[in-house]
Formats: sequence, C-alpha cells, structure tokens
Amino acid sequence: MDTYMSLTAYGKNAQTALTDASRKINELERMLSTTIPDSEVAKLNETLHFRVSDETAALLRTSLQYTQSTDGAFDMTIAPIVNAWGITTDAPRVPDENEIAFLLNYVGSTHVHLDGNTVTLDAGSAVDLGGIAKGYASDCVAKIFASSGIASGCISLGGNVYVCGNKPDGKAWSVAIQDPQSNNYAATVALSDAFAVTSGGYQRYFTAENGTVYQHIIDPKTGYPVQSDLMSVTIIADNGTMADAYSTALYVMGEKGAVDFWRANADSFDMVLITADGRLLYTPNLQNKISEPEGASYDFQVIDR
Amino acid sequence: MENFFPITLLIPLPGVKLGLGNIVTVFALYELGALPALAILVARCLLGSLFAGNASALIFSLLGGLTAMLTMILLKQLPKLSIFGVSIGGAAAHNVGQIAAAMITLGNTMVLGYLPFLLAVSLVTGALTGFVSSLLFRAMQQVKLSH
Amino acid sequence: MTSRSLTVNLKPTVLDGVVVAAVIAMSVLVAAVFYGNKANDDKLTAVVSVGNKVVDSLPLFEGESVHTYSNNGYTLQVSVTDHGVCVQESNCPTQDCVHTGIITRNGQSIVCLPAQIVIHLKGADLGAPDAVVG
Repeated sequence: MDTYMSLTAYGKNAQTALTDASRKINELERMLSTTIPDSEVAKLNETLHFRVSDETAALLRTSLQYTQSTDGAFDMTIAPIVNAWGITTDAPRVPDENEIAFLLNYVGSTHVHLDGNTVTLDAGSAVDLGGIAKGYASDCVAKIFASSGIASGCISLGGNVYVCGNKPDGKAWSVAIQDPQSNNYAATVALSDAFAVTSGGYQRYFTAENGTVYQHIIDPKTGYPVQSDLMSVTIIADNGTMADAYSTALYVMGEKGAVDFWRANADSFDMVLITADGRLLYTPNLQNKISEPEGASYDFQVIDR
Repeated sequence: MENFFPITLLIPLPGVKLGLGNIVTVFALYELGALPALAILVARCLLGSLFAGNASALIFSLLGGLTAMLTMILLKQLPKLSIFGVSIGGAAAHNVGQIAAAMITLGNTMVLGYLPFLLAVSLVTGALTGFVSSLLFRAMQQVKLSH
Repeated sequence: MTSRSLTVNLKPTVLDGVVVAAVIAMSVLVAAVFYGNKANDDKLTAVVSVGNKVVDSLPLFEGESVHTYSNNGYTLQVSVTDHGVCVQESNCPTQDCVHTGIITRNGQSIVCLPAQIVIHLKGADLGAPDAVVG
C-alpha cells in the first residue's frame, strides 16, 4: 500500500493474528494493485481478458453492485480518466475537454463482462479497485481477528479504520475525524466493532498552472474532479468494503445527495459530513458517541431521519 | 574508516557520523584558507555519498560538514582560541547539522532528543581532531624549521 | 603559507574552555527541554509518527500489544508492553530500529530512517484518540 498502515491486537494470539493479517494484506496488494505489473488487476487491464481468482472476481462483482446502488457515484471503471489526470502521481495535468469526453466513453459498468472467473473488458476500458481495496482488506483483517479469538484490536489501513471489540480497559475505542482545514480533529467518535472511512478532497490535490485547485476524487459522470459542497465524508458501518465505497460515492454526491442516500439506506450505515460552510452533520445513531474536541470549529447538527 | 566505529551502537540514529573527517577540514582551513577548505569539503561529501549510493547520506554529510565549516571559520577569527577550541566547536556544530539533516529527512523533530548525547560525544571527537591536527602542525613546523 | 601555519595556536587556552562550557550548556539545555518533563513518567505513551504525521499513540499501561507499521515499502513490527516499546522485526536495510532495542523512559525514541518512522515515548495524553480517519 502506498500509505502507512497500523495494526494493533491485544491478547494471547496477538502475534500470530497480526502476522496472518499482514500476510493477507500483502497478498491482496499483489493481487489487486494497478501499479504492480503482474497483479491480477494489472494483467486484466493489460490483456482485457483474464481469468482472475475467486476473490478478485467476487470483489469485482461487489464493486459493480456498489456502482449500481450509488447510481454511478462510485465506479471502478473511472481508471482511464484517473490516469489521464494523474492527480495521485508525480506528474498531474489537466486533460483537455475533448480528451475527457473521449475517455468518458470507456467509463461505466457496461464495459465489464464477468463470466464466472473470466473477466473481459471493452477495449479502452480499465478497472481500479483502489476505491474499495483497503476497505476489503480491513474486512479480511476483521475475519482473521475473529477466527484468532482477538477480543480487542484496532487497525488503520491508510485511513481505513476497523476497531475490534472494546479497548483492553473495557471502554469504546475513540476514533478521531481529521479536520480538513487544520492538523486538529474535527470530532471524535466512540466506536466498538465498527469500520470507519473518510473521503475528502483535501487529502490529495494539485494546483494547476492557472491556480485552479483540483482534488483527487473524480466524478465518474463528468470526468472532472468533484466540486463538492462537502469537505469530507466519514462512513461508519459494520462492513469495511461498503464503508470505503460509500465514503467516496457520498463525497461525489454532495451534501443533499449524501443525506438523501442515507435516508434511503439508513439502517445500513452511519455518517459524519463536514460541509464547506463549516457545519458538521451526523446521523442520529451517533448522538451519544460523537464528541466535540476542545475548541471545535464546526457547527454540530443532527441529520433528521 | 568511521564504518569501523559505528556511532549507531551508542546513538541509534542512522546516518549520523562521528565526524572524524573533520580533521581534514580543520587542517585545510588552517593550511589553505576558507575557500579551498570549503571546496575540499563539498568534494568529499559528494564523493562519499556517491560511494554510499544514496541521497540522504549527502544531506547528512553536507549539512554536518557545512555547519562545522562555518562555525570553525567564525571561531578561527578569535585570536585567543586554540586549534582545540576551534575543532571542538566544529565537532559540536557538525552534530547539530546532522540532527538538522535527520529532522529534514524524517520530517520529525523528535530526533532532537539525541542532540544532548551527540554534543557530549562531540567534546571527545572535537578534542581528538584538535589533538591530531596539532600533532600534524607541530610535525610540519619542525620540517619547515629544519630547512 | 609558512607564516600562516606558524601562527596556528596549538596550546589549549582559557577561551577553549569557554567553547567546551558552551557545548555542555547547550547539551544540558536541550536535555532539560526534552527529558525534563517528569510529570507523567509513570504513565507513558509511545507516539508513532510517519514523516511529520502522528499516526498512532500507544499507551504503555493497557497490557501487551503488537503493531505493524508500513511506509516507503518497509514494514516494522512493534511490540508494546507495560515496561517499554521495541521494534521486533523490520525489513529495512539498516536495522538500526531493531538494534535500538527496548526503550522505557520518557523522551527516548526509536528511529527508522528508511521507513521514516519515529517512535517516541512521552507522558501519557489520556485524551488522545486511538485512531484517526481522514
């Protein structure tokens, strides 16, 4: 993974559980990374027709499912446009309108054909599971913790957090949400047995020659970096893969879209939205769990059901 | 040579060197003057990092070397100061420069905690470089007098 | 050239002593700032930073735990006990972080330059979060 990861486990089997978890994460990276040339995903993108492992096939299906449930706000086939912008690389650039319009022809679930474990992509299309790979990896670690009998643990895979059980002292884990505008925390949430993921344009961006700031999350519908009225979206759920996919999708949707989406799926996740105009919105389930740090700079509000 | 006395056994901060190479700087500074000594220093650092094969080694040796050099040039202006004072000041500055390099490379100020130990060590290395340099100069003076 | 080398002052002077005193003073000053804070010495936290970003704070009073941190392609396995912190295993080339051994006192740190990871012991900040998203 290009970002840091931290795995913590308490108890008797901590050592073996962490060794197994690290091994699993490395295995997933070798399988799913677009930048490792012989990964299954890289091979698929290169050859357009490839027989993948059961696990990769399942993850591709899951990804297509989230594209459908988010009405295209999350889309793994955005890869050709992400590559054109190169925002997360050393050499980002602003593609011209025609190039984006052209590449948009290759974006969309219709370009991915799954037949058992055999995947075929339309020429020009490519997939990138980066939007859910870390979330999926956190799900895998959670399973390893469970099967090793770990009752207390906490992992962070490049900002994808999973907390297992409670802290050794019996209290809930305190998970802080980064303030997009400073080095402080915007809020802390007391969690146990939960996954938390944050997406926000502030995490990575580049400034073009004319001074325009382009952040790294691209709207699959326009092919341009999202101009969101949100600064960050934090999803809290009992499914890491879903939390990862939804955090990106709801950021793309913007405040209204995100709130509507939550109302339609309210039982499956909780969320914290930080808006560009300084409000911090949270779902009612978090009411007794969320707390404002000292000197908080946001206006905390509950989202109505 | 310093690879035989890895200071990291004492102070586990990779990249930090004792600075015994300062003997060359002290000697060049007194014998050839500030500018040639500076040129020798930069050449040494470049060659050294070429052999070590990494850029962070260059930051450590260059920052350490330059800080030591500048301090010694200034200290040398004081007429009442002997070669011992100059090289101890240089050794201390060398370690300050190396800690600065570590802070830059790591992007973290926590390594400042090593500075007190490194400064203590620099008293010894500085005295040692001063002593070796003074022996060198004595030998040279005798050579010159015998002519 | 001859004249220059003849003017070299080879005998230690009183002013040399002033330089030595200055270095000692600086050493003591930095040490006081860094190791002087004894207030919370009985409850320590290991603060883990990757680059300039604090990624974890591990209390040393909640039982044994094991942690894995990866950065720049290197992975460090860190073990925490009530007594102290050490890097058990690392795949970095220098292994300085492993050779540092266990650190147990306020102000001490373990540095891994290749991975740009610093583990630093300080008095516990009991309000610190366990994980950060964002």
